[in-house]
Amino acid sequence: MNILLMILSAIISLVTGMFFLGLARKIMAMIHWRYGPPIYQPLIDVIRYFHQRAVSHGFIFDLGIIISLIGSLLVVFFLPLGNISSFSNSGGLLVILYILILSPLGLALSSGESANPNASIGISRKLILTLSYEFVLIIILLSLMSQYQTISLQEIVMLQARKVWSFASWKLILPGIAYLLILPAMLGFRPFEIAGASQEISAGPSVEFGGKYLALNTINHGLLHFITIALFVNLFLGGGDLFGIFDSISGTFWGSFVSLIIFLIKMILIFVISVFINAVFPRLRLEQATKYILYYPLSIAIVGLIIVVAIN
Amino acid sequence: MDRNQIGKWLRSPQKMSNKYSLHAVYFCTGCGIIEIPPSITTRWDAERFGIIPAPNPRQANLFLITGYVSLKTLKAIIRTYEQMLEPKYTVGFGSCPINGGMYWDSYNTIKKLDKYIPIDGWIAGCMPRPEAIFVAVTHLWTLIEKDMATGYIKYRKNYKQYRANQEKIYGSLDWPPLYK
Repeated sequence: MNILLMILSAIISLVTGMFFLGLARKIMAMIHWRYGPPIYQPLIDVIRYFHQRAVSHGFIFDLGIIISLIGSLLVVFFLPLGNISSFSNSGGLLVILYILILSPLGLALSSGESANPNASIGISRKLILTLSYEFVLIIILLSLMSQYQTISLQEIVMLQARKVWSFASWKLILPGIAYLLILPAMLGFRPFEIAGASQEISAGPSVEFGGKYLALNTINHGLLHFITIALFVNLFLGGGDLFGIFDSISGTFWGSFVSLIIFLIKMILIFVISVFINAVFPRLRLEQATKYILYYPLSIAIVGLIIVVAIN
Repeated sequence: MDRNQIGKWLRSPQKMSNKYSLHAVYFCTGCGIIEIPPSITTRWDAERFGIIPAPNPRQANLFLITGYVSLKTLKAIIRTYEQMLEPKYTVGFGSCPINGGMYWDSYNTIKKLDKYIPIDGWIAGCMPRPEAIFVAVTHLWTLIEKDMATGYIKYRKNYKQYRANQEKIYGSLDWPPLYK
């Protein structure tokens, strides 16, 4: 049963990730007053990449991209998607925090082996940016853990369904705002598109990726979009819960289905807001971005943590 | 456009994906590059056909050479073309890469680009309008579908000849041969 759930959550995350990539391109096109590509255009691209000849730069180059993809998939198994959860009873937030860093590290291995100067610049930017937003993320998760007195993501979602969503409670709104502020950095969107800046450093870490490597990288990119937003929806917007309207059918097949749909709709809403932010902002420089993240989101998160700890 | 026909996708996914996912390297040589910004932005919107500018040659499969080719840029063009992954398609844009154009008697531009790298299609004109790019793309779709856009295979087969032509200009090239 668990294996089936794992396969199901992997399929859901892959499909939603690719859908997000297409949605981002379509919305960006519409904001530019263009017609835009069809929503399944990233899928066409991935099929094309898989059929192209690929150039490898050695064993570590192959290994790094696979580590990155596996790291992203592992996080998906620890996230409750509505009522569907494969591993989310065990481990909890600490495991998610631990595996979340695996994807940038795998990418760093891979692009380090390719020895392209653009890739080195890109990956150093990505790691510095990751370091700064992980710091904020840890403090946000600490305040949630101390508020709900648990490290289990599943329990946090259930407690929110029973009482009130974290984002709507006055104690946890500051960590929620801090998460929203670092969300573009986690997604790699503008104003934090510093690592994968395609005009400036030729797509950064993925500059030497071609063929199947690029396909895996694109899939990984979609998965990272999925993970970041799914974590936000689970932590702050109550997962697959909608004010307890569908509590009567919870536990049944239709209950899981409806909670999954609600979960995905919430995710799409958050994603569309991030794409709007992506459309209107220019790109920051690395030191500006780091300074911003370590100034506003970090101070908001610390104030939130102090409030939560002082009240409890 | 047959992008929505699932039967064709199942029969030949490679051909269909090559057709509808053309990521282009715009090689900004001459004045032709001025036609590219309108074609990829709001007015003509190439992205609805799946054509976007690629950030680097590794991720691209369409090579657009826009304008005259001087002896210095030819070197960069050859290197960029060799870095692209197969299958790859090349389109010469404007009269200059076809026969020299208004630079036909210049001492440091080449007359026929086709002697140095294989070209799958030409867009004639000085300058062609952005609509011509889309006409060229539809022609390229037809060529891909009929297996006639085989410049990269030609390059692999006749590499010695192409290399000899390239070395005739430069004496010796800085990089080793791509194919044996």
